[in-house]
Amino acid sequence: MKAVTEQLWDKFSLDFLRNQVLKNAYGNDDTIIAKIDPRTLLIWYIFFGVFPWFMHNPTLLLGLFIFVAVTTRLAKVAPLVLVLFCFGVFTQSGYLLIVSWFFGGNLETLAPLLIMTLKVSITSLASITVFSGLNPDRLASGLLWFGCPDQFAFSIAFAYRILPILMEEFQNILLSYRLRGQAPDNSGWRGKIRYVIYQVRIIMLSFLPLMLNIAKRSRTTVEALELRGYRYANQNKVIKKMKIKMLQLSQLDFYFALISIAWLWGCFVVAS
Amino acid sequence: MIKIKDLHFTYPGAQQATLNGVNLEIQQGEFVAIIGNNGSGKSTLCKTLNGLIPNFIVGDGSGRVEYNGEDLWNMPIGKIAKRIGYVYQDFENQIVCPTVLEDAAFSCLNYGFEDYMEKGIDALNLCDLLAKKDDYIWQLSGGQLHLLALAGALALAPDVLILDEPIAQLDPAHAKQMYDILKDLNEKHGKTIIVIEHHSEYIADYCQTAILLHEGRVLWKKDARAALRECQQLIDCHIYPPQITVAAQLLQDQKTGVKSAVLPTTFSEGKVFFQAMDSLVQADVIHTHNDVEKEIAVELTDITVQYRSVKGDPKTLFDNFNLNIFKGDKIALIGSNGAGKTTLMKLLVGLLKPKRGKIKMNGVDVTSYRAEQLASHISLVYQNPEQMLIKESVRADIEFAMKERKVANYQEQAQELIALFDLEAIAENDGRLLSGGQMRRASLAIGIALEPPILLLDEPTANLDIATRQEIIRTLELLKDKIETVIIATHDMQLVCEFATRILVLSSGEVICDGSREFVFSNQAVRKQAGIEPPAIYQMAEQLGGCAYTVNEFVQAFQKEQCV
Repeated sequence: MKAVTEQLWDKFSLDFLRNQVLKNAYGNDDTIIAKIDPRTLLIWYIFFGVFPWFMHNPTLLLGLFIFVAVTTRLAKVAPLVLVLFCFGVFTQSGYLLIVSWFFGGNLETLAPLLIMTLKVSITSLASITVFSGLNPDRLASGLLWFGCPDQFAFSIAFAYRILPILMEEFQNILLSYRLRGQAPDNSGWRGKIRYVIYQVRIIMLSFLPLMLNIAKRSRTTVEALELRGYRYANQNKVIKKMKIKMLQLSQLDFYFALISIAWLWGCFVVAS
Repeated sequence: MIKIKDLHFTYPGAQQATLNGVNLEIQQGEFVAIIGNNGSGKSTLCKTLNGLIPNFIVGDGSGRVEYNGEDLWNMPIGKIAKRIGYVYQDFENQIVCPTVLEDAAFSCLNYGFEDYMEKGIDALNLCDLLAKKDDYIWQLSGGQLHLLALAGALALAPDVLILDEPIAQLDPAHAKQMYDILKDLNEKHGKTIIVIEHHSEYIADYCQTAILLHEGRVLWKKDARAALRECQQLIDCHIYPPQITVAAQLLQDQKTGVKSAVLPTTFSEGKVFFQAMDSLVQADVIHTHNDVEKEIAVELTDITVQYRSVKGDPKTLFDNFNLNIFKGDKIALIGSNGAGKTTLMKLLVGLLKPKRGKIKMNGVDVTSYRAEQLASHISLVYQNPEQMLIKESVRADIEFAMKERKVANYQEQAQELIALFDLEAIAENDGRLLSGGQMRRASLAIGIALEPPILLLDEPTANLDIATRQEIIRTLELLKDKIETVIIATHDMQLVCEFATRILVLSSGEVICDGSREFVFSNQAVRKQAGIEPPAIYQMAEQLGGCAYTVNEFVQAFQKEQCV
């Protein structure tokens, strides 16, 4: 029992979180999904993100759900993200399903809720597929191609660059609080509550030193960006073209599109 | 090539000018060191060369900076970047892309070179990083990150490279690699190299000329070795000449009549110089065999540690690791980056739990204790002091742990610590705004506030200039009486020699040597395996068939000879 709680507790540690975030951002760049051109994925995503909202046929939706479930599997999504997904879907609409069933709802009341849940799931899984399969840089160049401002595209890539640093810094500051502070006794349920409140308090307190430290670091970054021509490139259209030239469609994109369309068509046929 | 005439610069809001009439010329193909104490204007001078001043940092400036006859101060920053490359001291903040090749090619892409990828690859090749081109930034070690920052600057193929303290954070093996690469760039590719450097041993070995800055003025520019012979003037400016030079100077001063000889600055010069003097007396190696039974403070048995990795299976770092730490030990933990020093420290303070094995403290099994529970028995001072500063002032930070634990007279105790660590003048300031040395002293005071019986220090002298480092070593001496057991993880062999009574050499998760400095340094195989470079003075004495760990010991060994 103790081992189990310890294992569970371990999953809440910042170290675990950091590992999972990195895993999700970078750990799956060798999957099939990651090899697809970002533009193909973004168009695919727009379709799967919007289309389900206009459909009401449960069979069709179920078909779509199976499809995005498979792509999610192919993208080798980090476990934490999947857990968050399930939690998210449940809090969105899943609980209504249980509640209405509990209060004696019949299949007729359940059906709309089920459809709603399916729709949420499809769009969520589609976004998980796309954003785990695309590492930040590919995502950025894809967005750039669609005419997104460079500042926005760059900030996505840069956020991922500093995320590990940020989390490590945060971890250490939090540790300063933990080690030098005095945690309340956590025996009994009152103690447990006090302990949780204490933890939340030091997490909040850690933000100020974190911000100050990051501000101190970013001075160099800002100067370095200037030296390395970041601003110069932003004002220059030729360079933007160069940046998106590295994107190339391959046979894989073609097959991916073909399979998606074929599957959709199949679903339509079965549903009607 | 670079010509600076009567350059003045004052930062906005500053009372005094940082640069106060600098006149300087640097020739094509030179390898120059800029030396000077903190605040002498070294970094500011370099920023006037890369265009950050006045293009980006606005201040009050006058004078002329020329590059091959062109006026640098009226040139757009992008144009300068293709001529002069710059590597920051906090280089990791200069790296902005997630992968290695991308970052190396980042500048070239931004400045619109069609062949930016090839340029990036060429630069990585010059910096020995080609094998890592597809890696992510966080997979690189500190030394590799520094080389990447260099590659990023190099990719634009500038004629001049400026590096602000290129080896401050590197272990000796990586430091040598860095300088060998710079030397190669200088000799084979004709780059002009300007370094801001505190490590005078490297200046002697690699640089051709040296410029001494003091209070925003150039005092002189000399041949590098001639410059290092100006012992007294350098020490007055808080710069420490090579140990060999200092020892030679001291010996010369004591022996009247032999003033004429030229002081040595490098190892080979030193050999000639000292051999010409009397032979070195074999210092009495005092083998203190402490047969006194020492009490065990910490006992690690059969420890196995695994790390999560982003890809693939967890990695095992420690496999059945065993270690006893005795009460009263003053341990130096040495070994190259990645040998397991930090892991061992994390294990001891309870931040990392072993997969298997037992940790006992004073005979009590603490393997499953949380870090909070161990906090008053063992304390860790981080390598990065900013992360220990969590309150609004230094005083509040020192008081914090005692106040939380309801120590009765915490204010008096904090005051005592503030006095002990010479923090009175800055006790009410925000710690983050202090200088490197002050911040480090503050973090030491914070670390020992609870008077833990065991104190762990992670790289207490990293990133400090030599003068500040001496100050920290002196501060650590103060600790010896206050804290029973101290463990320092460090690359700084001078610190090891002056502080430790026991040295643990780690190499890929194993203790490969454990003993006194005599025992460890005389073991060539261990030195090689763990990449340890003993202090220059030790190596000099070793060459001469003697043994000395500090300049004073070295000089004394000669003096004894005279007395006989």
